[in-house]
Amino acid sequence: MSGGVYGGDEVGALVFDIGSYTVRAGYAGEDCPKADFPTVIGVTLDREDGSAPMETDGEKPKQSGTAYYIDTNQLRVPREQMEVMSPLKNGMSTSLMFEHYNIPAFFLCKTAVLSSFANGRSTGLVLDSGATHTTAIPVHDGYVLQQCIVKSPLAGDFMSMQCRELFQDLSVEIVPPYIIASKDPVREGSPASWKKKEKLPQVTRSWHNYMCNTVIQDFQASVLQVSDSPYDEQVAAQMPTVHYELPNGYNCDFGAERLKIPEGLFDPSNAKGLSGNTMLGVGHVVTTSVGMCDIDIRPGLYGSVIVTGGNTLIQGFTDRLNRELSQKTPPSMRLKLIANNTTVERRFSAWIGGSILASLGTFQQMWISKQEYEEGGKQCVDRKCP
Amino acid sequence: MATGADVRDILELAGAENDTGPISKKDIINSDKKKSKKSTETLTFKRPEGMHREVYALLYSDKKDAPPLLPSDTTQGYRTVKAKLGCKRVRPWKWMPFTNPARKDGAIFHHWRRAAEEGKDYPFARFNKTVQVPVYSEQEYQQHLHDDGWTKAETDHLFDLCKRFDLRFVVIHDRYDHQQYRKRSVEDLKERYYNICGKLAKVRAATGSEPKVYIFDAGHEKRRKEQLERLFNRTPEQVAEEEYLVQELRKIETRKKEREKKAQDLQKLITAADTTTEMRRAERKATKKKLPQKRETEKPAVPETAGIKFPDFKSAGVTLRSQRMKLPSSVGQKKIKAIEQILTEQGVDLNPMPTEEIVQMFNELRSDLVLVYELKQAHANCEYEQQMLQHRYEALLKASGASVPQSEATGLEGQAWPGVEEIKTEAKEQIIDVVGAPLTPNSRKRRESASSSSSIKKVKKP
Repeated sequence: MSGGVYGGDEVGALVFDIGSYTVRAGYAGEDCPKADFPTVIGVTLDREDGSAPMETDGEKPKQSGTAYYIDTNQLRVPREQMEVMSPLKNGMSTSLMFEHYNIPAFFLCKTAVLSSFANGRSTGLVLDSGATHTTAIPVHDGYVLQQCIVKSPLAGDFMSMQCRELFQDLSVEIVPPYIIASKDPVREGSPASWKKKEKLPQVTRSWHNYMCNTVIQDFQASVLQVSDSPYDEQVAAQMPTVHYELPNGYNCDFGAERLKIPEGLFDPSNAKGLSGNTMLGVGHVVTTSVGMCDIDIRPGLYGSVIVTGGNTLIQGFTDRLNRELSQKTPPSMRLKLIANNTTVERRFSAWIGGSILASLGTFQQMWISKQEYEEGGKQCVDRKCP
Repeated sequence: MATGADVRDILELAGAENDTGPISKKDIINSDKKKSKKSTETLTFKRPEGMHREVYALLYSDKKDAPPLLPSDTTQGYRTVKAKLGCKRVRPWKWMPFTNPARKDGAIFHHWRRAAEEGKDYPFARFNKTVQVPVYSEQEYQQHLHDDGWTKAETDHLFDLCKRFDLRFVVIHDRYDHQQYRKRSVEDLKERYYNICGKLAKVRAATGSEPKVYIFDAGHEKRRKEQLERLFNRTPEQVAEEEYLVQELRKIETRKKEREKKAQDLQKLITAADTTTEMRRAERKATKKKLPQKRETEKPAVPETAGIKFPDFKSAGVTLRSQRMKLPSSVGQKKIKAIEQILTEQGVDLNPMPTEEIVQMFNELRSDLVLVYELKQAHANCEYEQQMLQHRYEALLKASGASVPQSEATGLEGQAWPGVEEIKTEAKEQIIDVVGAPLTPNSRKRRESASSSSSIKKVKKP
């Protein structure tokens, strides 16, 4: 890569994007992360397993008998007494980076800014709908307007919860694949017939839940759809049904339910399990956030609404969002929704933005080097990083 | 494809090739290659690189034909562009350390660069541009920049943020410490900043030169933003209402114009009628008395829309007087019919003998007839309108007597009728001015044609 051609300069930087559902990691300058694994660690106590865990992302194994496992490293194999937990929620801390790992240079950037860079814009409203929450973050000229961020907890995990309740209502048992030894084909809607594996180790509750969650998430990704207009019973009944088979053999056609569940994202008053109407639907989240911003920049924000996050990949999400926003904005406002069609780009847009940023020639002056950290301390991070 | 040899053969020209005899063994086997090669090479014209064989064959199909004296330059178009690999020697890349002059700490990073470019400056350092934010000293602050609404700490904080964010005031406002200092709007921040800049510029400027200072009008900005907010927050109903009102306004304006036009037309007719009669009387009187001569001069411009203008053609040579009697084509069908009707009723010949006097009189007569017709029409129109308004007024009066009327409304412009004041205030929100509305074009025409005969008949009864 010759440096002067397009403003790139490869310094050999690493880019990490730690989300609540998956961690993305890779080299700067590439177009997708090399490693993408769930953000859970399996911890076993008092066992020496002898397996060589990978040194990625801070999950350094301790030799003191506690072994850590991540998804790339046999997390899905049932083990005894393996608890599942999520690592540090507040992300990487600067001191950890510099002192523990002795890295030469470091930089923190907000994911919203990186997502907008990945889409080629420095101003826009980033709507990030991931696993734990949906947020609308206005970005102006490469800086996040922190006081106008609006968060809503209705996101991927909420969907999973609703799907779980749906299965409970249908009195269908979620059986993760690790239990199943063999299964027989059954008719649609009739209870499954399968045989349990013998000699299963005694797995912990948390691990079992984790495996069930993966099943539900698979169902969620493949079956759910957002309807174009606010949910209507008659219209939903006429939509085509989708056939889905659970790992234990239970298969069924899902029609109206597949539209009803994601409706909760856009119109929380209908959704079950929500107390009161204090939650905001996705459309409201966006308009509230823009409404809190200065009036001069609002057209700029509406002119590039960037949709990212894994949860937005539900079929029909962007169309519905487009419709809702065009209803809520004044007619003179030019509304443009930017939503990449490929899965890779939407899920990894923050990582891709980081990759772009770190490989720019003009970025190389913005790193916080070890020397600067030693001189300035943690405050220099706050100052230099936008 | 006819080759040169064929052509020569057909035209029986001399100089036919000597090898056109039967094919010999030599041709096929071609044992003495060297000789034959030499002979052919001199005559072939090399086709330019990149030009396809067939294209070349089209141009220079026969070896005997000479190419054009100045062959065109085929280097531009016909060359198939190939990747130029390996043109130069391989330039090795090296993983080398570098320092970025834009950095203050002199940190050393590594990157891949061509070995030849070792030691050169980092090319991206020149992009390190910053905005010039003025820096003031303690003294300057105490002397010039003191302000009641702003403490020094706050001002320092503001300037620090300005430097960090390169004067992006929206971001500065967002990151401003609102807990520690007061809640400031974007305009406040801008105002303070530009004030200080202006003062500093004035103070620091060399004596004699008047520096250009950017004046920031915070009040104006505030009002502008408020207005934008209101515009942004309009509900769709308000937008629809505004559209509706604008349309109504346009309707009112058009109707007003129509009415004015009608009034003007009427006026013209009336004055025309008056003047013609006046002129007639004046003419007749002038033969007896010479007083009314003045009157003629007083009314010089006779409107020509009233009546028919008969074209006065001045033709050379011989013409027929009856030509002057012909009606001009601008007169409408209805008017022609009306004229004919009256003439027949009065027993006047439609096409009298065109003597001088008769022609003139006849033309005048027809002109007057048309005038009468138009006047009668206008009169009938006004009567009809008056009737309509009368009915409407009565209806409204009845309705307002019973309950609040919502359906019908009359905005009687220019007419202050008693008891209409309340109706007027109600009608402000409703459709105003429907004077011309019920008269659709079709109904009007129908009415005119129906009443044309009746209006003319009225003339008969004195």
